Amino acid sequence: MGRNNFSILTILSITLLPILSLSFSTDSPTDRRLLVLLDDLSLKSSHSIFFNSLKSRGFDLDFKLADDPKLALQRYGQYLYDGLILFSPSIERFGGALDLAAVLDFVDSGHDLIIAADSSSSDLIKSLATECGVDFDEDPSALVIDHKSYAIAETEGEGDHTLIAADDFIESDVLLGKKKIEAPVLFKGIAHSLNAANTLVLKVLSASPLAYSANPSSKLSSPPSLTGSSISLVSVVQARNNARIMITGSLDMFSNRFFRSSVQKAGSPRKYDKSGNEQFVTELSKWVFHVRGHLKAVNLRHNKAGETDEPAMYRIKDDLDFSVEIYEWSGKSWEPYVANDVQVQLYMMSPYVLKTLSNDKKGLYHTSFKVPDVYGVFQFKVEYHRLGYTSLSLSKQIPVRPFRHNEYERFITAAFPYYGASFTMMAGFFIFSFVYLYHK
Amino acid sequence: MADGESSKEATARTLRNAFGNVLSFFILLLIGVLAFSIRLFSVIKYESVIHEFDPYFNYRVTQFLTKNGIYDFWNWFDDRTWYPLGRVIGGTVYPGLTLTAGTLWWLLNSLNIPLSVETVCVFTAPVFSAFASWATYLLTKEVKGTGAGLTAAVLLAMVPSYISRSVAGSYDNEAVAIFALIFTFYLYIKTLNTGSLFYATLNALAYFYMVCSWGGYTFIINLIPMHVLLCIVTGRFSSRLYIAYAPLVVLGTLLAALVPVVGFNAVMTSEHFASFLVFIIIHVVALVYHVKGNLSPRMFKVAVTLVVSVGLVVCCAMIAVLIALVASSPTKGWSGRSLSLLDPTYASKYIPIIASVSEHQPPTWPSYFMDINVLAFLVPAGIIACFLPLSDASSFVVLYIVMSVYFSGVMVRLMLVLAPAACIMSGIALSEAFNVLTRSIKFQLPGSSGTSQSRDASLNTDGEQNDIAKTEKMDETVKERPSKKNRKKEKEPVEKASIRSRIEKRLLVLPLEASVIAIILLVLLGAFYVVHCVWAAAEAYSAPSIVLTTYSRDGGLHVFDDFREAYAWLSHNTEVDDKVASWWDYGYQTTAMANRTVIVDNNTWNNTHIATVGTAMSSPEKAAWEIFNSLDVKYVLVVFGGLFPSLHA
Amino acid sequence: MGRTTSKDAQALIHSLRSAYSATPTSLKIVDLYVGFAVFAAIIQVVYMAIVGSFPFNSFLSGVLSCVGTAVLAVCLRIQVNKENKEFKDLAPERAFADFVLCNLVLHLVIMNFLG
Repeated sequence: MGRNNFSILTILSITLLPILSLSFSTDSPTDRRLLVLLDDLSLKSSHSIFFNSLKSRGFDLDFKLADDPKLALQRYGQYLYDGLILFSPSIERFGGALDLAAVLDFVDSGHDLIIAADSSSSDLIKSLATECGVDFDEDPSALVIDHKSYAIAETEGEGDHTLIAADDFIESDVLLGKKKIEAPVLFKGIAHSLNAANTLVLKVLSASPLAYSANPSSKLSSPPSLTGSSISLVSVVQARNNARIMITGSLDMFSNRFFRSSVQKAGSPRKYDKSGNEQFVTELSKWVFHVRGHLKAVNLRHNKAGETDEPAMYRIKDDLDFSVEIYEWSGKSWEPYVANDVQVQLYMMSPYVLKTLSNDKKGLYHTSFKVPDVYGVFQFKVEYHRLGYTSLSLSKQIPVRPFRHNEYERFITAAFPYYGASFTMMAGFFIFSFVYLYHK
Repeated sequence: MADGESSKEATARTLRNAFGNVLSFFILLLIGVLAFSIRLFSVIKYESVIHEFDPYFNYRVTQFLTKNGIYDFWNWFDDRTWYPLGRVIGGTVYPGLTLTAGTLWWLLNSLNIPLSVETVCVFTAPVFSAFASWATYLLTKEVKGTGAGLTAAVLLAMVPSYISRSVAGSYDNEAVAIFALIFTFYLYIKTLNTGSLFYATLNALAYFYMVCSWGGYTFIINLIPMHVLLCIVTGRFSSRLYIAYAPLVVLGTLLAALVPVVGFNAVMTSEHFASFLVFIIIHVVALVYHVKGNLSPRMFKVAVTLVVSVGLVVCCAMIAVLIALVASSPTKGWSGRSLSLLDPTYASKYIPIIASVSEHQPPTWPSYFMDINVLAFLVPAGIIACFLPLSDASSFVVLYIVMSVYFSGVMVRLMLVLAPAACIMSGIALSEAFNVLTRSIKFQLPGSSGTSQSRDASLNTDGEQNDIAKTEKMDETVKERPSKKNRKKEKEPVEKASIRSRIEKRLLVLPLEASVIAIILLVLLGAFYVVHCVWAAAEAYSAPSIVLTTYSRDGGLHVFDDFREAYAWLSHNTEVDDKVASWWDYGYQTTAMANRTVIVDNNTWNNTHIATVGTAMSSPEKAAWEIFNSLDVKYVLVVFGGLFPSLHA
Repeated sequence: MGRTTSKDAQALIHSLRSAYSATPTSLKIVDLYVGFAVFAAIIQVVYMAIVGSFPFNSFLSGVLSCVGTAVLAVCLRIQVNKENKEFKDLAPERAFADFVLCNLVLHLVIMNFLG
């Protein structure tokens, strides 16, 4: 049997390889294989710091031209990559089997995506971004302009007002790492705004209140459509299936030149030797590729108080214990996740019980409560949505039945006269029969 | 001489009696076979399959019962319907039918007859319709004698209205409930005629079985008090009436309260108050009669004035309290369905879901003709026959037909209650008519005319027309002497009475030709009825509605089995715990056939839940998705009926 | 007026008493039994009015057992009463057997419903 297996393995080893590596990746949530699509292979060298940092963190990068005719995301129904980096803003049509729908399917099946646009962005990239919940400025020649928070260039005195020095970060350790990003991030590119109807998309880096989006080379004829802090420079999406997307309007953000350059924000006396780009991009890419902020909940358990087995059904007013284990991926291993705001609901159309779980610092969350006096098909629900973390949404169906006919209270004191009367009548019946039959 | 004659006649009479009993036994057996076999058209034309909607639920419950036993059934909390509310099956279902079929199955299996539960369920209704026709025989016999009983039993065995609810596969509460209804009435009449506590006990037990079987038991618990009240008002109060009624109320109420679905309703809702009120009245009346019997008329007058003046005050106070109690509840303590019986517009005004069911609509005139056919014309004749002479029993039957005609006029479903009453009435009418006609023929035939030979004439009549002779004898005895013992002991007065009545009846003699023609017409009428019933059983009421058939224009048969295919698809292709949303009609079938959780089903106990599904079904896609998602629905079952050409052919 | 009423009442009571004294002992026993059952039922109703109707099933079975006993005893009394012409042919033994059967059913149900 084992030999058979082995021979099959040797024969099919080539075809099985992707599957094997896939099964490896399910163990850890971190992505392994990334496809990088470029407009131009020169980007490979001009953005080499970013790529090298990814490689050094253990990712396999596969560089392809965006119009490569052999482009494919999946083979035999299996995805070849875990993540996709689109550094090809000007592409009008992808090559090969790739198109807008394929990219969206890729995301829908839980894979991650980085989209970088710039002033030359094509409709394809823009509509892809629209599908992800952000709208780039309609005007193809518009750039983000800020007359206040621009970066002062080293050589020319005045500097370029389209080179933004942004430092309006989202406050989240999960997204941007524990270490605070001191230096402003250099940004040069187009603006986008968030789709108000989309609740999953977040602004990670927003423009200053004085920024606006317009064509810098022409005179402003009408008020700009995007202004102030509604302009997002970098946004992220965490989909319901925990696919993560990063969208930015500036491809240059990732470039070696921006990584290296020193930065001084206009009006600020402090000059940094190095821009915040590298730290910002690196930390955010860790988040996007699930190195950080990934939770898992396992072993959802419930049982009657004093028992260990999980019952198929509870009775109303039962006491029960509930526990669940939650772990966080640290990049290498699963560590216990410690928080004091995880709650469990006993839910039937609306929550009947809502209890905060206490944890033992080892990942085990636990509580005990009484089943309400309502029967029906309930669910244990753990809904945990925190900024940056993968959302946990567990539910387990459990019916709650009413009392059985022999589980009601018996021998109630208040009813003793009735019992007495009934038994007296029975006794009376016997006595009466006796007397009646033998009274002569 | 006289002694010899009377002894000869006595032996002849016993012989005739024995012969008549054997004959009527075989007739009854044949009636049972007829009742059973006329309902098998559905099995022959289609297959042995459970019909329609509610029977599937009953079938599922029966399966559960046979698998898990009675206690688990009693405490069954079903988490696969009415998601996420669930349904306490044990406490919301009338268990009579299920227990009956379960017992049958268990009995057959312990006799090593390995029938499947489904087979037992399919054939429960025909078996019980045979029982029902026997019960009709008993009831009518108590009212008007054997001949009327046999005729009524034959009529009931094939009345289309009853067939529509009891064809093989129509495994619904009504299947056993009609039997229980008639049998309860029979025992009530029997108790009324004999005044025996034994029959009163049986009556209470039969009432218990009826309560177990069908919500229509309220018809009994209102009809019997009405009859008692009628008897009291018309001065027919007797101790037998007390014995028939008072134990029934006490025992019946207690037994009804034992059925979980009724429970405290048996004493808390207005449907039952009439019986308690009459219970009080009958005690007062019984006391008055008792005191009256013990006192001289003058003293009695004094007592009356005393009691009336005190009693009036007490009664007023009690009635005021009662009215206040009843009026304090918004529906006056009546359930929606009962209210719509009293006020036919109630349902359409307040509870559209009850009104929306077609069987809760008032019937149309053609449906009377369809469902009870020629009986509709015979009923008035039967009523007249019941008044000649009016006994306690026949007054009960008259009341029964009057009430059921009213109720059937309100709700087409209650046509089912009308059918037995119509059969009894028509049986009485037909039997009386034959009685009169054949007697007048006999009377005018040569060799048997003349007053002196009236006894011979009656003998001949007895010999040839056994049923009718028995009828004659019976109705004479019934109206005067109810119990069998009486009859034997007091033969003399009976003889006298019969001679007197024969003389009376001689006045009713019709011309020979008229009688013959009338008999032929009556036979034709009967034949027409039989033809109609067979047609109705074969064509109109046998479709299981789970399998549809149509005839194409060239006469070819086309069978649609889409429903069962759809349910099979669901059971093979979806997860066990998936929730399927459908309109409530298909709920029972989905749980029974596909074994998937449904949101609403035919037990329309929660209007809000049905309204939620209705909202989702009639909303645009996005809104509907929100609603269905909140109910964890994964699949939506939509029945699209656009592709059935000439479905109603 | 009042005088005549009281006089009438006295006469009434007197005639009632005299009529009753004529009834046989067996019927008197039944009457005693009925009176006892009705008394027990009334006590329970009063108790319910004071305490409240919480174990309603117990209350129902308690009261109905008394009422049922009384009703059945009345039925028996009707049947065994020699003066009652309607039941001349019904043997008192048969009547009593029926009565016992009916009572057994009643008490069985009561036991079932009490808890």
